[in-house]
Amino acid sequence: MSAITLPNRTPGKPGPAALISAMFATVRARLLIVSRYKGQLLNEIVTPIVLAAMPILLGRATAGDRASEVFLANTGTANYVGFMLIGSAVFVIVSNAFWHVANWLRWEMETGTLESIYLTPTHRVFVAAGTGIYSTSRSTVGAFVAYLIGSAIMGINPFQGDLLIAFLFILFGLIPLFGMTLLYGALVLKLKEANAMLNLMQWVVNFLMGVFFPITVMPAAAQFIAKLFPPTWMTNGVRSAMLGVGYFFNEWYFDLAVLWFFMLAAPMLGVWAFKKVENSVRRNEGVGQF
Amino acid sequence: MYGTVVVENLTKTYYTKQRKGLFKSEPRNVEALKGVSLDVKEGEIFGLLGPNGAGKTTLIKILSTLLLPTTGSARLNGYDVVTDDNAVRATVGCMLMGDRGLYWKLTGRENLLYFGALYHYSPADRKRRAQEVIDMLDLGDLADRSVETYSSGQKMKLAFGKALINDAPLLILDEPTNTLDVPSASELRAIVRQKNQQEGKTVIYTTHIMAEAETLCERVAIIDYGQMLASGKVAELKSSLGREHVTRIAGVIPAKAVEAVKKLPAVSQATLGSVDGMAELTVMSHNGTDTLARLIETLGQVGATIQKITPQDVTLEDVFIAKTGRTLAENTAVDTGAKK
Repeated sequence: MSAITLPNRTPGKPGPAALISAMFATVRARLLIVSRYKGQLLNEIVTPIVLAAMPILLGRATAGDRASEVFLANTGTANYVGFMLIGSAVFVIVSNAFWHVANWLRWEMETGTLESIYLTPTHRVFVAAGTGIYSTSRSTVGAFVAYLIGSAIMGINPFQGDLLIAFLFILFGLIPLFGMTLLYGALVLKLKEANAMLNLMQWVVNFLMGVFFPITVMPAAAQFIAKLFPPTWMTNGVRSAMLGVGYFFNEWYFDLAVLWFFMLAAPMLGVWAFKKVENSVRRNEGVGQF
Repeated sequence: MYGTVVVENLTKTYYTKQRKGLFKSEPRNVEALKGVSLDVKEGEIFGLLGPNGAGKTTLIKILSTLLLPTTGSARLNGYDVVTDDNAVRATVGCMLMGDRGLYWKLTGRENLLYFGALYHYSPADRKRRAQEVIDMLDLGDLADRSVETYSSGQKMKLAFGKALINDAPLLILDEPTNTLDVPSASELRAIVRQKNQQEGKTVIYTTHIMAEAETLCERVAIIDYGQMLASGKVAELKSSLGREHVTRIAGVIPAKAVEAVKKLPAVSQATLGSVDGMAELTVMSHNGTDTLARLIETLGQVGATIQKITPQDVTLEDVFIAKTGRTLAENTAVDTGAKK
């Protein structure tokens, strides 16, 4: 018999470098898989343009030449085309980031590879983070290209306002989304169902983050709920930085601080809930059943 | 410590629901394991045998940390499956769901590299280990083709390769030859034997094919209805049937023949199965030759048409029949039906 080589000196207790390496291996695997499905990126570029075009054209149809004037009075910017395009582009980023763990879990359950992942010593949160980085990078590139194309088609300048601050709002907004997506993923792991909830939540998210309108036009109670939702701060931050619609707390750094708070709290809550559900599922039917 | 498995009084109850139409359901408990204990020694190939639904997969899923036990304990390589689950995962190689555990859009090599990363190999080490596995299994050019283009046998071979990627001292293989044709199954068994003999890997091998267990395993345990019915060396289990004689009778045999034959004084067990579409009655008796005449007479009385009578040596299948009163072809429905 030859000597047995163990994979780790401390089995099952990897260092941060090994976990980060596993996370980026997941990003690479996802990229390789999607590269074998042609046309997906094209869909993601077209979606925000179509999404924004409908209310823009509706606005023109109902308000005619006075569309900009009416919009300025209600939102603080006359650039309603930019407002909608930014809203749609951020919505595509948020939407993909928000569902990715749920979609990833369902996909892995159905293809049968989820149990393979659970057989390895890498915690699923790191694999989920890998799929999150992949999914968010992909949708961010798609949304940015869509914003550029949409701006060209609608005849507006895509580069206006403070782009660096807008970028900070997107960056800070994505991390709480990872926490939220883990919460939603935990639900899918338990209920083994994603589509019905996704269909419902898609519209709730769309409404709460104010994709097509500023949340200031909502009733007070709805505004309160919307402000508990990190993407609302993200969308408003990007619009304020680029179009000057106005921050909720008047200064960009106060709004960013709120996102910073969400950035700390949401992932902790998400990881806690995900682990809790994961153990509950392992106590009964297991993760592979769907 | 490495390469050992110690299971003590393991139980697993699933809490499920019995559907009653569209909206109604009743809670129901299903006891999949009822106090299973076993002890696998370093460097042995241990067979876990039982029909579909016997509780083998539940046991394997607990050992591989996919499920938590309801009560009892299990230690693999010295690590507890509940409290040291990550250490168990790091030191066990598993092949549980066959080709469904692979990413079909990736190539074989990309699959191995990805799982190597999840086992925390450095990029250089995972490349080296993936190549080792590819060479070991003689995958050659196949390794750089996407898995969806593989045949069933090739996919199973790669799934086995995935179980080897972390070079673990203990391998858990759940029905690895299930979908394979005879030559591919034989090739996979040869590789398992080689890993055991040359590298000293301990193997837990589940199967419902008794002949496979007989050729491969040193010790086996028979599990049915969530209970361990027998455990020991293959030869010991076979000799435990003592002076039993096994006679297989093929032909057109009605179901009522079983009860009629069981009433014969020397017959200890009788089961009806089928081989190649023909009914086959397996009869165990204390004095084979003396019973044969009465056996033929009884079968004639119940309207059976005998085409072939074969006296045989005791096999593991016979041990299973003696312990359970059923053939392996009959599935087990593990269900107590108890309500919460």
